Amino acid sequence: MRSIVFFFVALAVGAAAFAAALIFNNEYVFFAGYTVLHFVVLATAWNILGGYCGYVNFGSAAFFALGAYSTVFLHKTYPLPIPLLIIVGGLVSGMVGLGTGYLTLRLRGAFFAIATLALAVVLQTLVVNWDYVGGARGAYVIRPNSIAIGPWTISYMQYLFASMMVLAVIALTTARLIERSRLGYGFAAIRDDELAAEACGVPTLRLKLIATTLSGAFMGMAGAPFPYYIGYLQPSSAFGLEYAVNSIAMPMIGGTTSWVGPLVGALLLATLQQIATVTISSHLNLLIVGLLLVGFVIAAPNGIVGLVREFLRVAAPSGPDKRSVAVILLAIYAFLSGIFGIVLGLAALMSGRSGLLLAVGILALVLAVLYLASFYGLLTMQPWSPAVALAAFGLSLPLAAASIAMDHSSLRNTVLEGATVVIALFAVWMLRRQDVTALYRSNAIADLVIARTQGAAP
Amino acid sequence: MSMDLLFNAVIAGLLLGGFYVAVTVGVSISFGILDIVNIAHPAFIILGSYIAYIVNQRLGLDPIVTSILVLPIFYALGALIYEVYYHSFEKRGQEALRGLAFFFGLLFITEVLLILVFGVDYRYVQAPYIEKTLRLGFVDLPLRMLVPCVVSLLMLAALQLFLSRTFTGRAIMAVSQDQLALQLMAVNPIRIKRIAFGISIATAAMAGAFLIVIGPVEPSVGREYIGRVFAICVLGGLQSLPGTVIAAMLLGVIENITSTFYGPSWAPAVAFGFLLLTLAFRPAGLLGR
Repeated sequence: MRSIVFFFVALAVGAAAFAAALIFNNEYVFFAGYTVLHFVVLATAWNILGGYCGYVNFGSAAFFALGAYSTVFLHKTYPLPIPLLIIVGGLVSGMVGLGTGYLTLRLRGAFFAIATLALAVVLQTLVVNWDYVGGARGAYVIRPNSIAIGPWTISYMQYLFASMMVLAVIALTTARLIERSRLGYGFAAIRDDELAAEACGVPTLRLKLIATTLSGAFMGMAGAPFPYYIGYLQPSSAFGLEYAVNSIAMPMIGGTTSWVGPLVGALLLATLQQIATVTISSHLNLLIVGLLLVGFVIAAPNGIVGLVREFLRVAAPSGPDKRSVAVILLAIYAFLSGIFGIVLGLAALMSGRSGLLLAVGILALVLAVLYLASFYGLLTMQPWSPAVALAAFGLSLPLAAASIAMDHSSLRNTVLEGATVVIALFAVWMLRRQDVTALYRSNAIADLVIARTQGAAP
Repeated sequence: MSMDLLFNAVIAGLLLGGFYVAVTVGVSISFGILDIVNIAHPAFIILGSYIAYIVNQRLGLDPIVTSILVLPIFYALGALIYEVYYHSFEKRGQEALRGLAFFFGLLFITEVLLILVFGVDYRYVQAPYIEKTLRLGFVDLPLRMLVPCVVSLLMLAALQLFLSRTFTGRAIMAVSQDQLALQLMAVNPIRIKRIAFGISIATAAMAGAFLIVIGPVEPSVGREYIGRVFAICVLGGLQSLPGTVIAAMLLGVIENITSTFYGPSWAPAVAFGFLLLTLAFRPAGLLGR
């Protein structure tokens, strides 16, 4: 697909999402959606440098905060409309990205990672000491109630949501364009072997500087509307840990080799965090993200997209068929249920003084582990995985039934748990079908996959 | 600018630098010698601080004695982490991107776990020497700075002796230069690296105790040390322990003068400026080859 076509298709999908959110007629949908979208931009930006070039940026929060603080600065001196603010934020962060890259990228790659970590601390120090933008006290940026665009008047939150949607589409299109251009091949050459790339005439320093600048600029753009979104910006929220860790975890969990990975990772993780922050404490939810990050880099280095690709290559070499797509969907469902189970289990354990709640919490955690194991096992074609998945889905049936029985007054709960029952029944039926069990029976295939995913030892 | 104030700032900076030696020596081993970019090192230091804090609260034991007692535990933890790192990343040649993300994850998990268990309040310890100060003429030597500085220099001397005199120590220095030659001497380089990484994490236990002796600690303090630690390590010439001492003292003095004359909130920025200047002008470090 040509990039222009892709851009307009993505824009159409975005517009459809906006329209769907309008139907809900609930301001919170836009509020949560904005968070998800700005993580899509951050993850995509991180991936341009981290995934394509193989250079790790730990200072995403610094670039994000630079964008946010340039907005605060302009808000005090000369207020501009959001699209211009996004451009200014992008310029500022892009310049800092270029500078950091220029000073550190001539050396070994690890120095860049360390420098970005330190950069976050130092920029925070500067902002804390800079009274004009609020210093340690923070700054208020009052969000207008609504804005008139042409003939329509929409609420400001919807306006921010729409701006971030356009920005996300632009970021994704750029990432996709890079992937398929000479630039992207140069990046990939740097990632695989910088010395060899240099020897082949790839202008490595220039390409790396382009990557740091682009990546920093998109992070700054993601941060620019943030003060209007949050209303009150203080250094510890703009430089917050969740930005540094999420912008790494999302691409790593989704998959770093293509633009799909960060998108998938950001959509999954950000949505889950929206739910988890409401259900349990925000620190616990960050802990889950950290554990997922470590788990994925150890067990599934190419992320969810990598797992799915490997699975398709072995299970359906001639293109995706109904069977393999169904298994993939089940596996993703198991992944989501697993994380959700951890969230609910921890919530029950944390709040529970009663024995019943403790038991429910432990049961939910056990179920979550089974779910996560079956997600991993099903996609890496482990022979044990259908049994584990059957156990997980089987166990979820009585739990869902019990939940309906205990709380049948709320319609939402009944519908959700009913859906769980239907999906679990479908999963059990699916996993016991002849063609699916045959897929996992042949150990030769499983061994092949294991050898492929782990790579050859030197 | 009075001479007394300046002189005192320099002395206090030297004492602070002595403490920075303990903080950095672990990274000099892991990053400088083994080429493992362990950015989670400050998190282990904070972990050491909290262990010293718990033992001090419950049993009233001296934090530095505690840290010596828990050295074997930290050594085992380090050896375990190296095993995971080796099998998951180093063996597959993926240490650059995913290995870094792994350590970042560890840093993050440790910090969040500490926040969950202890909250974000500042914690401190009690020891007889913390509130005393030696006075030599117009020079103040607060014991809470002097004791960590002296013990940390002793630790460094012991490590330097170990690395230069014993067979294992020399094997550790050799593993960074030529693994194959080491194998020809019938030494398993993986085992040597595991030992070295264990030692580097063990030093974090001591550094953690020093940190909480010097001042109160809260879980996110660790991140401020990342810039400092790597700045010192790079300026010191990565593998050279004497270079680390000089660089640590230098940074301690500069930081202390900055916070004495411009206010303490500027101190964290000094390390980064230091790091960037080093990388730009003298990437081989002070005593580098």
